Amino acid sequence: MENRKALVVDDEFHIVQVVAIKLKNNGFDVVTAENGSDGYDLASETLPDIIISDYQMPIMSGIEMIEKLRQNPETAHIPVIMLTARGFAIEDEQKEQLRVSACLSKPFSPREVLATIEDVLKQDAAV
Amino acid sequence: MKKEQKIWIALAAVGCVGALVAMIAAVSMSKGIIIVAVLIVCASIVVNCVVLFKHADRLQKIVHALSVGSQIKMTAAYPPGSLLKDIGTATEQFMDETNAKVKTLQNENTDIGLQLQLIQRRKNSVEAILNSIRDAVIVTDDRDRIILANAAAGTLFGFEFDPAQPMAIEEALSSGELVTAISKCRTSKTAHVRRELTFEKAEQPVSYDTVLSCVEDDKGNVLQLVAVLHDITREKEIARMKNDFVSHVSHELKTPLASINAYAEMLVDGEAEDTETVQQFCGVIQSQAQRLGRLIEDILNISRIESGLIKVSKETHSLALVIRDSVEMITSYAQEKSITVHSPASILYDQVNIDRDMISQVVINLLSNAVKYTPANGEITVRTDLNEIEGQITVTIIDTGVGIPAEDVDHVFDKFYRVKANNKCAKGTGLGLNLVKQIVETVHGGSIFVTSTVGEGSTFGFVLPLSKETATQTV
Repeated sequence: MENRKALVVDDEFHIVQVVAIKLKNNGFDVVTAENGSDGYDLASETLPDIIISDYQMPIMSGIEMIEKLRQNPETAHIPVIMLTARGFAIEDEQKEQLRVSACLSKPFSPREVLATIEDVLKQDAAV
Repeated sequence: MKKEQKIWIALAAVGCVGALVAMIAAVSMSKGIIIVAVLIVCASIVVNCVVLFKHADRLQKIVHALSVGSQIKMTAAYPPGSLLKDIGTATEQFMDETNAKVKTLQNENTDIGLQLQLIQRRKNSVEAILNSIRDAVIVTDDRDRIILANAAAGTLFGFEFDPAQPMAIEEALSSGELVTAISKCRTSKTAHVRRELTFEKAEQPVSYDTVLSCVEDDKGNVLQLVAVLHDITREKEIARMKNDFVSHVSHELKTPLASINAYAEMLVDGEAEDTETVQQFCGVIQSQAQRLGRLIEDILNISRIESGLIKVSKETHSLALVIRDSVEMITSYAQEKSITVHSPASILYDQVNIDRDMISQVVINLLSNAVKYTPANGEITVRTDLNEIEGQITVTIIDTGVGIPAEDVDHVFDKFYRVKANNKCAKGTGLGLNLVKQIVETVHGGSIFVTSTVGEGSTFGFVLPLSKETATQTV
């Protein structure tokens, strides 16, 4: 069975690394990017099963990246989990509009990230 | 009794006798007696005329006193039994009463005058107070006409208030929202209404905390309505900045905390497969904990300086020595990247009144930034320039680094500002340069500057006043 693919986007190297290691250790193929612009390019190219993205990033924020992803028919369906240090930054309305599957506030637990990814992928498969 | 008085009494008696004889003559119709009586009456008239003439000046005084309302005490004696005595007595009595009334009226008049002056003074004082209030104050009547407004209200809405000509609120107030609020508050008889109103101004929108209060009579009818508009634009801006600051701090604190938490959990869960990975995870935890510590320290220092609570110990020091020590501290870091640091040549007089630790922190921070953003094999030059005429010394740190885009240069000293284009070069809290600025400008009364060209390098520097005396103070 082919490994599931995940894209991790964060400008904080240590966050990207820890999430990537956790996912790799649990059977994911992981690609990483350090800003929204690179994240969008990589998502268009690799079409991951799930994207885990930071909210605040240089060059292009997580929200801008998702908006762009939703406009591209090839990437519009990819579920996204947001990691943010600002728990209150995403309004429910915006979350629904951009179809953000889940939001996790920093400091987060890698276990929690993995569990959320599994839940989201399960729901996505059911749909 | 005086002689003159006796004469007048005698003459008056003659007059009276004459009159009596005239009456008898009139009754008896005797010609002789009539002639005698006529002569006596004439004599009596003459005598009384003389008496009246003699007292004319006194009567004039009485008439004058009556006309001007002054008090005159008529003390002269009148011929006893004369008609004038009665007139005089009655007149004196009348004058006494009149004088008392005049006196009362005069007192009341004085009181009223004083009260008028007091009212005028209070009115002027109230107007002065009202006009000195920075809040706009508008009073409207039961027909929504402005019957009172202070200078601030006139300035805000661009009208000139004339007490003699009440203006309709629709004409005077440019804000339809305020006009509606005033009318609604009055008609609904709501005691107090509070709302935030924003008016578009040329420079930027201004926000007002507006309180409308009804003034009612005993029966509950709204007689007047008072509108007070308090400018809260600045408060809103401060609140926004505060929120931004808290949001930034929250983000900056949570990021290293997230790494510490995540890597610790990975170690606990046995996700590090080999010793090297374990060491790497531990290294991340340590470096992120240090980053967190630096961040907290920077935030606290900035906060202390801004609130004026930091203790500053200023003494006279040689700036060259401070720079030399700072350069020594940064040398090993520069050597790791093969960057050459050129120190300044010593100058004759470079004594400055500074908090040594703080200025060392400034120099180290600027040098450390220069090393961070300068590629390997680059150069950093530190210069000091003395301006004896101005009494200033300038420290300049020039690097051959990546430079700062023009649109970012003016913001590099802002809190949490990071040059996005250079994010890859080095990690930072975005607080270091703000702290440098606070130390130089707020604590030492100097100035800070920066110039930069992308691809060529940056020049950071600061100017400090030369020492005049040694001092220790708390800022």
